[in-house]
Amino acid sequence: MAGPLLYIDRISKSFGAVRALREVSFAVHRAEIVALVGDNGAGKSTLVKIISGALTPDSGKLWLEGREVHFRRPADAIREGIETVYQHLALIEELDVADNVYLGREVTRGGLLGKVTGWLDRPLMRTLTQQAISQLHIKIPAPNRSVRRLSGGQRQAVAIGRAITWGHKLLILDEPTAALGVEESEQVLLTIEKLRDEQGLSMIVVSHNMQDVYRIADRVVVLRQGRHVATLVKEETTPQEIVAYITGAKSQAQPA
Amino acid sequence: MAEIARAQLDQLDQSTLRQAISQLLVRYGIVIVLIVLVLAVSLLSPLVRDGQQLFLTPRNLIQVALQASINMILAVGMTFVITSGGIDLSVGSIVALCGVLSAMAMRDLAIGAWGGFALALVIGALCGFINGLLITQLRLPPFIVTLGTLGIFRGAALIVSDGRSVYGFDRRFQEIFSARLPLGGDLELPVAVLIAVVIGILAWLILTQTRFGKYTIAIGGSEETARLAGVPVQRYKLGIYTLCGLLAGVAGALLLARLRSGDPTFGAGFELNAIAATVMGGTSLSGGSGTILGTLVGSLIISVVQNAMNLFNVQSYWQQLIVGAVILFAVVLDQWRRRQSR
Repeated sequence: MAGPLLYIDRISKSFGAVRALREVSFAVHRAEIVALVGDNGAGKSTLVKIISGALTPDSGKLWLEGREVHFRRPADAIREGIETVYQHLALIEELDVADNVYLGREVTRGGLLGKVTGWLDRPLMRTLTQQAISQLHIKIPAPNRSVRRLSGGQRQAVAIGRAITWGHKLLILDEPTAALGVEESEQVLLTIEKLRDEQGLSMIVVSHNMQDVYRIADRVVVLRQGRHVATLVKEETTPQEIVAYITGAKSQAQPA
Repeated sequence: MAEIARAQLDQLDQSTLRQAISQLLVRYGIVIVLIVLVLAVSLLSPLVRDGQQLFLTPRNLIQVALQASINMILAVGMTFVITSGGIDLSVGSIVALCGVLSAMAMRDLAIGAWGGFALALVIGALCGFINGLLITQLRLPPFIVTLGTLGIFRGAALIVSDGRSVYGFDRRFQEIFSARLPLGGDLELPVAVLIAVVIGILAWLILTQTRFGKYTIAIGGSEETARLAGVPVQRYKLGIYTLCGLLAGVAGALLLARLRSGDPTFGAGFELNAIAATVMGGTSLSGGSGTILGTLVGSLIISVVQNAMNLFNVQSYWQQLIVGAVILFAVVLDQWRRRQSR
């Protein structure tokens, strides 16, 4: 198939007088990792929320596989195979691992009674969760363990496990390593690379960590004050150059 | 060697025993409070009148359950609302409005006993639906919305009844809904207790085994996370408040049957007992975790305390004070055991 997987087409969004995004456009190709970088308040979170259906843009379009899509709520984006792992809003502490992985997509018992009552098929969901997570590099305790007792890396693994169980086209990862130690970060980065190389998944990764960005990204999209100021190809850039664009020390002609 | 091994084994046994006891306390703390309370009252009650046991008789225990039944039903609805991170202050007023309207419809429109019961349920559910609509559509805090509807539903009950009790409705309503089913011997099971137990079991299954229950917990845990995961949060919140209103309708109908009149002032303060039973039972006021079993036990504790004070001829002014103190004590105990479990 030709053309990009996702094309973000002149998206704008304002909150009152604050113009969070101004005509931002870029593409995400298949089996590609695009890093989305920028200083605080550059508009990364707003853009992520628009792509994942949590916010609707004031103007601009989203094209998925050449087809225009309208996301009015998160469930719309999820249905199209776009999954988002939010930094702080990824998991419900009060639920166990499998309940989190299947949140919003519960499997109920068969038969009319199961459907009508919404009777959960927890044994099945736990088995499937075990299978999904065993594909990852990180070891997770049993699917019936409470999320509250997991480490930061384990939580991130559960959140990513949840995302790959459902996101067959695009994963959006919001600061995937920010809360993690060195070893856990490394495991998460390995997982991300493996998902791209072995499963051909596309990803948008929001990160403040230039080393991570430089290591995993194929291309880097830089936002500054709501504008898209640069698109850099990894082989042709350096971490120093990325930082220069983020801070505004350097600027590119605005990409078309 | 063997002795050292045995000493180690003893130590291990002791520590596992201590662990088991503390786990037992953490899990079933509120049940233990109930058992201790029942034992204490049982031992003390013969001292009041000629050494005769007043409390621990099957007949009195059934009376305790009957006294607890209406609060149990309200508290089960409250458990869903509080678990979802909300609160419903209007249930006492819903009880009154359902009772008055049901009684008037049976008296004036001759809708029959079952019609009157169904009407109470429909009105209760409608009141809860209105709460849910205001909370989800106007995006107002549940505390404010239900504080407003507490006044509105109570006012509506007073207006339609002109402030007077409603008598003279279908006699069969009392016969059916305050009936006592023979249990053998001279013991009888009040219908209200049976209904409360059935509702308790169903609610427990719904909260722990179904999508509705899981979403209730998820919304209370983090509403935004649930929304981002694709949970239709507003729709389920509407459902939770409707369920709470429906159960208040059931409570209103049962109170109407027991008191044989519909009065617009009934049910005042019931919301506080329902909240107390729920919180005592271990449901977190900050949302995200709830337990139906705890709520039922919490209702029983309040009922046991009230029953015991009647047996001991405690003046009714003191009763309110003591119930309040017991609630505080139970919640402090609960906080303590939660810290232990961390």
